[in-house]
Amino acid sequence: MEITRRHLLGSMAKGAATVLAAGGVSSVALADGSLAEEKQEASQTAIAMLYDATRCVGCQTCVSVCAQANNLTPDTRLDPLHQPPRDLNDTTRSVIKLYKPADGTPYSYIKQQCMHCVSPACVAACLFGALKKETGTGIVTWNPSLCVGCRYCEIVCPYHIPKFQWHGINPRIVKCEFCKERLVHGGDPACTSVCPTHALVFGRRTSLLDEAKLRIKNCPGKYYQDRVFGEREGGGTQVLYLTKAPFGKLGLPKMGDESIPGKYLKWQKQMYSYLLFPAALYAVIVSAARRNWNRHEKHLKEEEKATGLRTQL
Amino acid sequence: MSKEWERNVPVFDIPILTRQFAALCTLGIVACGLVLYREAVGLGAASGMNDAYAWGIWKTFNIMALTGLGSGAFSIGIAAWLFGRRILHSVMRTAVLSSFLVYATGLMLLGIDVGRPWNFIWILAPWRWNVHSPMLEVGFCMPLYTAVPLFLEAVPPVLEWIHSRCPELESTVEMAESLLKRIYPWVLGLAFVLPAMHQSSLGALMLLAGNQVHPLWQTPWLPLLYVWAASFMGFAFVSVILMVCHLIWNRPLDADVLREMSHITAWLIASWLAFRFADLAISRRLALAIEMSAPSVLFWAETLLLLSAALMLAVASRKRNFRLAFQGSLFAAIGGILYRFDPTTLAFQPRAGAFYFPTSIELLIDIGFLSLAIASFSLLAKVLPILPASTRLWRAMESARWNKSIFHTRQAEYTQYTAAD
Repeated sequence: MEITRRHLLGSMAKGAATVLAAGGVSSVALADGSLAEEKQEASQTAIAMLYDATRCVGCQTCVSVCAQANNLTPDTRLDPLHQPPRDLNDTTRSVIKLYKPADGTPYSYIKQQCMHCVSPACVAACLFGALKKETGTGIVTWNPSLCVGCRYCEIVCPYHIPKFQWHGINPRIVKCEFCKERLVHGGDPACTSVCPTHALVFGRRTSLLDEAKLRIKNCPGKYYQDRVFGEREGGGTQVLYLTKAPFGKLGLPKMGDESIPGKYLKWQKQMYSYLLFPAALYAVIVSAARRNWNRHEKHLKEEEKATGLRTQL
Repeated sequence: MSKEWERNVPVFDIPILTRQFAALCTLGIVACGLVLYREAVGLGAASGMNDAYAWGIWKTFNIMALTGLGSGAFSIGIAAWLFGRRILHSVMRTAVLSSFLVYATGLMLLGIDVGRPWNFIWILAPWRWNVHSPMLEVGFCMPLYTAVPLFLEAVPPVLEWIHSRCPELESTVEMAESLLKRIYPWVLGLAFVLPAMHQSSLGALMLLAGNQVHPLWQTPWLPLLYVWAASFMGFAFVSVILMVCHLIWNRPLDADVLREMSHITAWLIASWLAFRFADLAISRRLALAIEMSAPSVLFWAETLLLLSAALMLAVASRKRNFRLAFQGSLFAAIGGILYRFDPTTLAFQPRAGAFYFPTSIELLIDIGFLSLAIASFSLLAKVLPILPASTRLWRAMESARWNKSIFHTRQAEYTQYTAAD
């Protein structure tokens, strides 16, 4: 027993050196490549939407054209006469909600759709890259021929955006894809193109950020904390919000500046970079197992001799 | 360590077809029917899952929690093969079979749970892999582990069975056995690395859920805590199986093996608890455990279950008390399940008003598949040399079989004789 352990510890020490070396190499390998992606900045060509809640009149035209543009059946489950989706769902990619506080402070509308995060958790989570962030525009798209339907994106999205079709044998993930088809043909996203009060505008992310900051500068104190939601939240988003009501009341969660994949997957990435760490661990275990295996076989032979029974592996 | 105990013997003296076995199989058949229904109507109509709680018990219970119990082949294997706890080799077959069945049911339920399973074919296309996704790691590693190392570890009893039943295949079996022996250390390497990877990745899955997981559970150490929990859950579950087999099939129980297992489990739990509390204290989240809230009650339920399990097992291993060992192992298994289930459901707060409770269809499918696993275990333990026993029991089995065969020959001779007459 003692010898076994001593041998094992010896080989483990050797192995540990290998593992440490591998860990070192992998973290070095990581420093240039994969880590950079976590501190990702939105590219200069990234597109965006700016929603100014103080200008929105809640007409919901954007909601109905969204359904039209994306060939979605209007959600009439609550009221057969018109289309009042209560929330994002399997046939609704965009929704306008009303926040009306009981204490009589001013109400506010809020539009919800995919935020097209600069470093999206859903894209980091997706097995085969069915959810993908397009280079250039930065749109987060969904590809039906790669999606397994595991719904991990629904678990990880901090804004609860991706929705799953819970019926039928060919369920899809439903979320805003920035009307990418219309953009290809030189158009605007459906929702931004119809807004009567220009509460919702479409453009480059950089210019919309400038625009938002200008509005804040022109009317200090008008907007909540004089801040644009989406500039830095969770690594930044490509849908920007200006509101009077507190963000938290409107369903915009409190988030740090770090993106979710950047914050939580750092170690995971380090451990699995080029599979160096698992490979080193495998080498250590096999060398220890081989040593013990020989001893085990010897023991089995002794036992066979003593009992006269066929050995059991 | 006594030589007497190193034999795996089938449960030869109990009939295979019992009423309980039939009942378990019926539950399994019902579940298979309900699976067809689920495939026809979609997940929404068959389950209680919704867009807030997008994962139901098939994932959160069978994969996230129960595969911890199925880690016996991993944790006991490491103790036996790498840390030279030779005495534990006798329970390896029990561990491997139970692990295989838990993993197999989990993977089948996972296949039912996903909405577009045909796209899983991309697992064969490495250029499609999102290598940093914990889900990919789990989806790749878990089936691979079940199909290769765990399966190969489970093969020797089957070969042995063929060897004893079909003498004409003897040379083939021996060839297979010698081949298996040659690759065994490499198989063992996979059998320990792969579970270490995917059991930790199960924890990493919940990392990406960020703030939605209650801070008493959410920590960068979640992957380590998950695999650590799996290690003691594996030990505890195999102890429970051995003791249940002792109670219902009257199998002998090796006090030394049990003592060793209780001892290791107690230490694994104690160190796990210490680590968890240290992490909570250092990151200043321990105060959350003191305020009165549902999550803190859950937290203390886990902690007390596991703490009492560790104490009971420590005492049991010192005093050789079976009852305490049984209770302690059971508590350890339940505490581990609770810990690994909570971050996915009970301590997972997607938003106010969100609610999930499994439908009866979901539950029946789950129960049916677990019943099939239990039925398979009892069938295989009765046919194959799985459960540990002494060589004395082996010899008793041989003489029982011999008596039976003699009886049949005599009977045949007698029929022949009377027919000729």
